Amino acid sequence: MISYEFLTTRKIEEALNYLDKLTKVHILAGGTDFLVDLYKKSSRLPDFDYLLDISNISELKIINLNNNFIEIGPLVTHSRLINEPLIKNNFPIIKEAACTIGSTQIRNRGTIGGNILNASPAADLLPPLIALRAEVELTFRKGKRVLPLEAFLAGPYKTKLQSNELLTKIKIPLLGDNYYSDFKKIGRRKALSIARLSLALITKINKEGIFQDTRVVPGSATPYPQSLPETEKAVNSKSIFNIDLEEIGKIISKEMISITGERWSTPYKEPTIAVLVKRALKKIIGEAKINKNE
Amino acid sequence: MNKIIVTFMVNGKEVTLKVSPKERLLDTLREQLKLTGTKEGCSVGECGACTVILDEKAVSSCLVLTGQIGGSEVLTIEGLETNGKLDPLQQAFIDYHAIQCGFCTPGMLMSAKALLMHNPHPSREEIKTAIEGNLCRCTGYEQIIQAIEYCQGDGSTDNISI
Repeated sequence: MISYEFLTTRKIEEALNYLDKLTKVHILAGGTDFLVDLYKKSSRLPDFDYLLDISNISELKIINLNNNFIEIGPLVTHSRLINEPLIKNNFPIIKEAACTIGSTQIRNRGTIGGNILNASPAADLLPPLIALRAEVELTFRKGKRVLPLEAFLAGPYKTKLQSNELLTKIKIPLLGDNYYSDFKKIGRRKALSIARLSLALITKINKEGIFQDTRVVPGSATPYPQSLPETEKAVNSKSIFNIDLEEIGKIISKEMISITGERWSTPYKEPTIAVLVKRALKKIIGEAKINKNE
Repeated sequence: MNKIIVTFMVNGKEVTLKVSPKERLLDTLREQLKLTGTKEGCSVGECGACTVILDEKAVSSCLVLTGQIGGSEVLTIEGLETNGKLDPLQQAFIDYHAIQCGFCTPGMLMSAKALLMHNPHPSREEIKTAIEGNLCRCTGYEQIIQAIEYCQGDGSTDNISI
């Protein structure tokens, strides 16, 4: 039987003290993954003696513009990501991805920090956040460290969070001018679906119509979301007027398989990821052409 | 396992309860407070039968630990009726035949109520999004959407104090 002591706090300081003093502490935020795992007695649940509820720490619920970064508290819910003007205006790709998570009830409780720390291969926010080059701020009793999100992920359902650390901020650098983005997701149904495959694509298109600084991050394609540098390189320096989308499709399929090897799902995912990248690029190219004509 | 003392509001009344570390809001409502209008369906946040309004937002009460909600306000299906009069949404569900077996109805009503509290004039798409987490295997949803559409802008949905 799973047995634990329940701790709750409204202060970061107190949470850090608990994490520092006690061992085998599991952190609880929105609970939309934890309570499912608890009910199913999932093997994914770690061995823990204490459950530390941080869901009422208001300092972890902020959304701020700080210099060239948007800072998001880990307890910001998916519903808030969707409705917050700072997010909608600067990172529409986060809003698009957040809209596809669970249902209204799940989005009202589930948090950005939980989505990151649960580190599911299908986590909907990870591809856009990695593509945006988000960083995570990890605080412990005596200090803090900042890591790129991509480097923070350590495997399926695994991160580099130490047992005395709390995720206290997600920092996302603002994109400059002429950046475009798109998020695609395929699920078995529209609501409450776990991504069968998803894709975040961000790119800059310069005055001459040339792709630059392209970032391509799929979800549910690799053991955990990560950028695909070969595909990014293949898109960069191509022109929106004559890029060979078929070729990009082939390159992304090949790059995905080079990471995963041939799996039971490869016959489905190989052509499907090609379609996703082509659709995302087509949409972005369409938008860039309209902007050029204005 | 330790017992937790937690104080929160349910349907306008303050309650202070002793709960276990694993007790979900759903368990507290049904077993301690005998508010059995809130139903347990899938227990994993996929069916919406246990939907209640927590601090003005629709949530699955199977995915909230009661220990987490000290100081919060909960509205359940039992709190919709005021002075013996059904909430307009409840009446509309009856009038539009939006109920068949009734098991999804309390959750469906709470999702609809949360929507109208924040958005008194939702579009059809917004209604669909609000109830996308509520499964109904009888009515086919059309009558439910019609019932919610009928209640748009009804001032009487504002007079529920939570």
